[in-house]
Amino acid sequence: MLTANHIRELYRYRDLILRLAWSDFKLRYKSSALGFFWSLLEPLLMLVVLYVVFSNLMRIQVEYYQLFLLLGIVLWNFLDRGTSMSIYGIIGKPSLVQKVYFPRDILVISTCITALMMTALEFVVLIVFMAVFRVMPEWTAVYFPILFVFEFLIILGLSMALSALNVYFRDVQFIWRLIVQVGFFATPILYPITIFPESVRWIVMLNPIAQIITMMRDCTLYGISPEPSNMAYVAISTLVLLLFGYIVFDRLEPKFAEAI
Amino acid sequence: MAVKVEHLWKTFQIPHERRTTLFENLVGMMMPRQYETFTVLKDISFEVDEGEFVGIIGDNGSGKSTLLKIIANILRPTKGTVNVKGKMTPFLELGVGFQPDLTVKENIGVYATVMGLSRREIKERRDEVIEFAGLENFEDTKLKNLSSGMQVRLAFSTAIQTKPDVLLVDEVLAVGDMEFQQKCFDVFDRYRKEGVTILFVSHDLGAVRKFCDKTLLLKNGGVVSYGKTNYVIDKYIYKQSEIIAETSAIGTNEERKTRWGNNKIDILGVKFLDKKGMDNSNFISMDSMTVRMLYDSHEKVHAPVFGIAFYWQDIYCYGTNTEFGKYDTGMVFGKGHVDFAIERLPMLTGKFEVTVAIVDSIYRTTYDWHDRLHSFEVHNPTRDQGIFCIEGKWKA
Repeated sequence: MLTANHIRELYRYRDLILRLAWSDFKLRYKSSALGFFWSLLEPLLMLVVLYVVFSNLMRIQVEYYQLFLLLGIVLWNFLDRGTSMSIYGIIGKPSLVQKVYFPRDILVISTCITALMMTALEFVVLIVFMAVFRVMPEWTAVYFPILFVFEFLIILGLSMALSALNVYFRDVQFIWRLIVQVGFFATPILYPITIFPESVRWIVMLNPIAQIITMMRDCTLYGISPEPSNMAYVAISTLVLLLFGYIVFDRLEPKFAEAI
Repeated sequence: MAVKVEHLWKTFQIPHERRTTLFENLVGMMMPRQYETFTVLKDISFEVDEGEFVGIIGDNGSGKSTLLKIIANILRPTKGTVNVKGKMTPFLELGVGFQPDLTVKENIGVYATVMGLSRREIKERRDEVIEFAGLENFEDTKLKNLSSGMQVRLAFSTAIQTKPDVLLVDEVLAVGDMEFQQKCFDVFDRYRKEGVTILFVSHDLGAVRKFCDKTLLLKNGGVVSYGKTNYVIDKYIYKQSEIIAETSAIGTNEERKTRWGNNKIDILGVKFLDKKGMDNSNFISMDSMTVRMLYDSHEKVHAPVFGIAFYWQDIYCYGTNTEFGKYDTGMVFGKGHVDFAIERLPMLTGKFEVTVAIVDSIYRTTYDWHDRLHSFEVHNPTRDQGIFCIEGKWKA
């Protein structure tokens, strides 16, 4: 459980967490000649396609739509990548589960950090784009890191539950893919929340990731600081998801080595 | 007390059909799930003092590895507790977490971290590891391009950099050539001198005898014996033979074409008696053994010749008989036995087959001949090699 004791233990294992995350990160780009360039190409390509489709055909009118879209995609990709990689975090490393012992959430945490490293690269692209379009973030951008930490913790919470469940039910991975795909369209990534009538917006905004993406855009691109009530909602749902993830994980963890 | 195990039970539930997908689970909900329950460990209790080197032996499936994994915290006990004092490192497999696509250097980093070394320690010792593994020219080579022998060497030289208080070793030595095994033993010696507590699961009774102060003998998940190594190993070997004797008795009922003779005198059976005078088929080299031939003579026969021969695989090792040995068998009638007493068994290790026969005094008629029908096994208490033991002394 996420007790102070456990967090202290995780801190003692920080070398291992980072080493696993870093070696995983390197592995992903090791065998290709252009390395991480490919990982940047994917969101960029997606950006171009979506931009062309949505700004011209659908005529979505948003200021800095390119950046709006890019930031949305990068943040959503982080969620997608973090959870999809973590689903295999336990079953993908049987020898680390069956032949040695360390707190097993380390495997999930390090996978989430690998996803974080990949997302960090995409932020570099975002910064370049912002420079090209001459968008200077205002002081409200200080909320960006805070919100980003919330997103990371939500991803971690989801990953804990998913990786543990996937040890016992292998179709969790397929179900989760469906949810992520539906989520991509149900979250205001391609469009602003304002395309919905006022009366249904709150339903969309129940999704804390939708809240986070919206607030992060507002504070980075448009100089609007988050509403305290929204911030509180995100903070609480982060905590709930994280605790939920840990509870599921701790229930299932003792038999990992037998069930894997 | 470095390791304390109290009333440890471990039960595995193995479903008849394993459900790993949700669909199978949903469909399966209609039917009650059938489990096969295996109790792998039954009420195990023992204590290991600091600095002790303890061997864990037993047949396959006796629960040795499960016990080690529970002590390592990889599996959780069903009941009971395990307490380990200090830093524990398991050597259950070499090269845990090795990534074939990373370089030698990077893999040392990952593996050493998994084994619990700090970043600074890794930095300090990396060159030493590479040198010890003999991979000086391969630092930046991807692991997958190394031979498997090189990989094992790399894993081993990385693993032994750990400074544990308690070390758990499971058959790691089973891989690798003699030279590698020797290296392992040297490292164990070093660890022992440093006062590391070691638990060592092995089938290599020779190694256990050499290193372990105490030995834990498991059988079907229970502790049979725990104490001084020599005592426990003797108990293991002489106990095990009872089971083998039982099973082999069934085997010899269907006699092959390896028996002939006119049956004037029948050989009823052969017994191998150990130093305690018990019927046995497992012996320790250099212990005493008596081969007892039981016969039933249906007529009065004068001075028959009793012969015996030993084979190792297809090699005829030794043969003798009562005439060569100038032993007068006299008049034989009815049931009786003849013993061939060996004071110090010169075989070192392996399975030996035995031919016994009774022929007449001029070798013309065979009364009964059991051609390699009987066998016994010899166990090596030393680290000498080969089939036979030559009792030599080194001198200068």
